[in-house]
Amino acid sequence: MNSRSLLLNAYVYAVLAFVLVPIIIILPMAFSDTNYLTFPPEGFTLHWFGDFFGNSRWMKALRFSAEIAALTALVTTVVGTMACYALVRGAGRIGALFQGLLIGPIVVPHIALAVALYLFFQKTGLSGTVAGYVFAHSVIAMPFVVFTVAAALTSVDPALEDAAMSCGATRFTAFRLVTLPLILPNVLSGGLFAFIISFDEPVIAFFLAGIRDKTLPRMMFDNIEQNLTPVIPAIAVLLTCLSILVLVGAALLRRASVRTTAAPAQD
Amino acid sequence: MIAEFFRPDGRHLSKAGITLLMLPFFALIFFAFLYPLVSLLSISVLEPQPTLENYRKVVDNPIYLTVLLRTLWIALLVSLLSLALAFPVAWLMARSKGPKVAFITACILLPFWSSVLVRTAAWAVLLQRHGLINEGLQLIGITSEPVRLLYTQGAVVVAMTHVLMPFMVLPIYGALRNIPADYARAAAICGANPLRTFREVYLPLTMPGIIGGFILVFLTSLGYFITPALLGSPQEMMIATLISQQIREYLDWPFAAALVGVLTLFVTVITLAFSKVFRFDRMMGGAA
Amino acid sequence: MLDGRTADGAAISLRGLEKRFGSLAAVDDVSIDIESGEFLALLGPSGSGKSTILMSLAGFERPTKGQILIDGVDCTPLPPHKRNIGMVFQHYTLFPHLSVVENVAFPLKMRKVAKSERIRRAEAALKTVRLEGYGQRAPKQLSGGQQQRVALARAIVYNPRVLLMDEPLSALDKNLREEMQLEIKRLHSELGITVVFVTHDQGEALTMADRVAILKEGRLQQISPARELYERPANLFAASFIGEMNQIPVDYDGGVVRLGGGQAIALPQEALVQPVPPGKAVLAVRPERVRLVDATSADALPVRLRDVVYAGAGTLVIGDLADGTEIRARIPSADSADLRAGTTLHMGFPPGAMLLYGGGAA
Repeated sequence: MNSRSLLLNAYVYAVLAFVLVPIIIILPMAFSDTNYLTFPPEGFTLHWFGDFFGNSRWMKALRFSAEIAALTALVTTVVGTMACYALVRGAGRIGALFQGLLIGPIVVPHIALAVALYLFFQKTGLSGTVAGYVFAHSVIAMPFVVFTVAAALTSVDPALEDAAMSCGATRFTAFRLVTLPLILPNVLSGGLFAFIISFDEPVIAFFLAGIRDKTLPRMMFDNIEQNLTPVIPAIAVLLTCLSILVLVGAALLRRASVRTTAAPAQD
Repeated sequence: MIAEFFRPDGRHLSKAGITLLMLPFFALIFFAFLYPLVSLLSISVLEPQPTLENYRKVVDNPIYLTVLLRTLWIALLVSLLSLALAFPVAWLMARSKGPKVAFITACILLPFWSSVLVRTAAWAVLLQRHGLINEGLQLIGITSEPVRLLYTQGAVVVAMTHVLMPFMVLPIYGALRNIPADYARAAAICGANPLRTFREVYLPLTMPGIIGGFILVFLTSLGYFITPALLGSPQEMMIATLISQQIREYLDWPFAAALVGVLTLFVTVITLAFSKVFRFDRMMGGAA
Repeated sequence: MLDGRTADGAAISLRGLEKRFGSLAAVDDVSIDIESGEFLALLGPSGSGKSTILMSLAGFERPTKGQILIDGVDCTPLPPHKRNIGMVFQHYTLFPHLSVVENVAFPLKMRKVAKSERIRRAEAALKTVRLEGYGQRAPKQLSGGQQQRVALARAIVYNPRVLLMDEPLSALDKNLREEMQLEIKRLHSELGITVVFVTHDQGEALTMADRVAILKEGRLQQISPARELYERPANLFAASFIGEMNQIPVDYDGGVVRLGGGQAIALPQEALVQPVPPGKAVLAVRPERVRLVDATSADALPVRLRDVVYAGAGTLVIGDLADGTEIRARIPSADSADLRAGTTLHMGFPPGAMLLYGGGAA
């Protein structure tokens, strides 16, 4: 390794440290025996986990967010997959409009969408409702789902569906039995994307929340803004555990699906 | 029956089938995005009476103009910092193989798996009066007593760079990865030294990725709300915090709508101007 | 049709078929009658419309005009899944997430055949294509030739009366291709099924098909058995598309043709496949029918040799006639030892080898 590449490596690892340190350093503070955040943490306690799980407001926010995120994942994958399928199987002129509309929610800042929806939902009574959040989160998560699903759909040979139809399948059956199983991994990871985006969405939650119906990010925002207690690191630890579980689960799922396609499988 | 709409007219879907499949998507985007946005923007020019007064206020009032310029300045700073941090990372990724690429990719993608609020909280802790950074500065003797780091513009820039930098790595890496190694060899045979090879071959070919990543980070920075709201100083607001303040404290909807209008105008113009290079599907790089 | 017994092939009738994409006619007024149990090859360069005809037969393209009758029943408006046609695609198109036997059983599943019966019949179809014992594998674990056999098994498993094949062998290498040609011929004669086979490989078409239909720019040029197609092509396109053909511009006076160099040749009546009006015409002769003759021979044409290309059993001799027209002859290598480029020799056309077409060269 010459000096130039040594320098490059040193620089890159410093950047990676910049990326990782704040994410990692906050985790041990969850066990801090103080009611403010400090590093290194002082003492050891599980009090803050108890504070999170024992507090009905936190629990209510957690359930609320989980429900919204699950519905967002469902809505975006179903709606997004339908649209992608139409696009890939020849939507022609609608394609440009579709892409334009898709890029809208990415480039228009969330604050603009949040304020617009705040006004709109006040008039329609959707403020603070599950449906309102699901609509809003679906809009911002949709591009990620569509691009993930489209990547898989374009790689599926359309002749496979022709083959299925020549075997006697209707277009719908051909999609259900041939195309869908082939794109399912991407549909699921698109859904996972959507779940995470919704579950971690702070800006829209900031505007749309009523007094009682707060999502988890909104509760976290209030905590950080007001007193920043170690319940935030405790939540970070829980979210990290959840992420690891999801990643391991996804890896296992992938391995399982590889096995079924590569090895003997009976109908 | 759904199947009826899938009636195959050849291998392509029928018009009715395409329409039916696209309908939910267009309905969602219309009712939860286009319509609310347009009706908000219409307030900015229609209330209290048809007027451009709300927009004039943005430009004429030095306080608001300062916020606007500060927002552009911070967005530019964050984009430049992100580029400076991201390019070498992408470069090393494209030069490396196997486990090293996987490791760097994992490090870069890890933030996507962690909550924005948690990361913001982490910076609040690091930057606080008796936080790690203040203590470190004192330890190496740069400062003799704790300095104010939190609730400053610097805190906002650092934390925003931390969150947005990964978005810069992926498109640049995507562009670099597609450059065959033979190009560098060809340039060398033609007599170019490494620096010239970089400038004449790599830089032009990577430009779409650089511009794409830069625009993505810049646009996202313009509308950033959470980080400035939690780490920034109330005296040094960005436009998103100003919008929030106008709505929540002064209930001045027409003016807030005008601010949203200005912000939307900025991002739309930039997006259209760079629409050739700013392709979101490519932005995803190796992320999906 | 689902009783497991071998079905007879269906008769197919294409009537005035036309398919337009915008202003372009991919298929232009094509009428073909295919007999029950016949093996028909659709042959043509890319863009000739052969694939569009096949896709119309399968129901993937809807013709702009015309009718498709299968056993006298108009199928033109029917979607693919209601046509009961077997089809083999260019790139195998096996479902990658299903095992081999599940792939073969797929058409039976669509026809709601009970599972045990499905498996039994799929295994039987695999046996027909000599892939017994491969049922549990994933398609990716098989070679290209084996995958195409699976595709074949899937196409015939429910005893369709028509089998469509869209350049099924083009993805295989030469040896496998020849092996699969024989395999498909064997299946065709065993099952008695009507086969429509699209190819751009003339050798394949001539070897396999009972009749070959030649297409150019959406129009049917000729439909004939292989021998007739080769020996008596209906027009210059068919003549030059299949095999090699010398084309010599001549003046025709109704009985005798005059070459550019002034020589006259009397034509037998059978040289005219179709009536040719007197005037400019093209004399066509296959290179392997051209003979080397003595200078004294009555039909001797002086040829200046340009190239002598030795190719094992045969030798290709390329030269120019007196007026500069290129002429090629394929002769046994044993006769070519003394030939040198730059020398002049004499060639002659046996009466039965000459064909005359009106108009200019193709």
